Amino acid sequence: MGNPMKIRAANKDGVTEVKVLVSHEMETGQRKDAAGAIVPAWFITELVAKHGDKTVLSCEFGPSVSKNPYLAFKFKGGAKGEKVTVSWKDNKGDSRTDEATIG
Amino acid sequence: MSRFSKSVLVLALAAASSTAFAFDNYKGIGRDAKPAEVAAWDIDVRPDFKGLPKGSGNVERGQELFEEKCASCHGSFGESNEVFTPLIGGTTAEDIKNGRVGGFVKGDIPQRTTFTKVATISTVWDYIYRAMPWTAPKSLKPDDVYAILAYFLNLAEIVPGDFTLSDRNIAEVQAKMPNRNGMTTDHGMWPGAPAKKGGIGNGGIPDVKNVACMKNCKPEALIGSTLPEYARTAHGELADQNRSFGPVRGTRTLGPEAAKKAADASTLDLATKSGCMACHGMKNKIVGPGYNEIVARYQGQPDAEARLVAKVKAGGQGTWGSVPMPPNAHVKDEDVVTLVKWILNGSK
Repeated sequence: MGNPMKIRAANKDGVTEVKVLVSHEMETGQRKDAAGAIVPAWFITELVAKHGDKTVLSCEFGPSVSKNPYLAFKFKGGAKGEKVTVSWKDNKGDSRTDEATIG
Repeated sequence: MSRFSKSVLVLALAAASSTAFAFDNYKGIGRDAKPAEVAAWDIDVRPDFKGLPKGSGNVERGQELFEEKCASCHGSFGESNEVFTPLIGGTTAEDIKNGRVGGFVKGDIPQRTTFTKVATISTVWDYIYRAMPWTAPKSLKPDDVYAILAYFLNLAEIVPGDFTLSDRNIAEVQAKMPNRNGMTTDHGMWPGAPAKKGGIGNGGIPDVKNVACMKNCKPEALIGSTLPEYARTAHGELADQNRSFGPVRGTRTLGPEAAKKAADASTLDLATKSGCMACHGMKNKIVGPGYNEIVARYQGQPDAEARLVAKVKAGGQGTWGSVPMPPNAHVKDEDVVTLVKWILNGSK
């Protein structure tokens, strides 16, 4: 299930700016723990942002993305009160979806 | 602001009152500070919330304010690491329960943030109130500060999204601060009596000791490490770059040999600039005698330097043949002396 994302969406002059702070460990699989054992890779592979039903952002993530990634993007359209949803899947099969109201 | 500055203030006031006694000997000079004057200075918010203005603000309002006034530097979620270290992050639900940030205990904290470090919520309140936004400090009203702080607390997952922070419930929030037990006062920076005597510090015992050795001392200090040879000259001659008085001197990075060589090299430059090298060689005759020949002729003559200085300045003819040496009035006197000394010392 993961931890909730923090999402802000604000519309200004017909453009909606979305900021997302994802909460995820994003382990690369290259690190070793104190005992010398490799920490298994655990990272987001896909992230999709939707405005209503329309996909406005779709990206493939990999192990090079930082822990707790921060993401900001803009799309044309959107109005106050409408919903933006962001969802991710990780390489362990986990996924999470959070939504925010455009302000 | 913090307990520390409050204590300093208290000490300062104590000092002020004791000097007031001293002023009794000087009637008419100075007076006690009036309560209003002390109040004007006493602007901090203490961890026991003394000095905290009344007011309240909720998370939602805080988010608006933060986005408007703070997010450009701190990031919408207080996550920005570009201007300063992040405000929020690095704390867990476990930390909130324990009152000590686990990352510090285990030593695996990747980066410090405000909320991993700060032990007292009053400090954050006080800091925002007095210093933020950076471009317009003191422009926030107490209610604004409560709102922004509520937003922080929500971001740090200490309070829920519908929380309203106020002067009445801030103490309850303090009890949830993730690093509330992380502050130590057992060191010499804290003034006053030791903790066991009701004070807050260790009684002013310094953190380091430097005891003069009186017996069985090491005969000499051993140099444990030095700059490697290749690195010594990286910044030139440090000794020449420091003041020649006071306790700090630059080390001779080039070493005495190299320093002399460098000085000689500059004398050679001087000789070239002054036009000497046109007629004189270092080790050979050109028009005039080589410097080696001059050294050979004048060696062991105590007055050679003075005679040569005069000759260089006025010019001469006859000592080395019929070609005359022109007068060198354009060369400064001290440069002539430098050059003559250099030639007599072998122009190396």
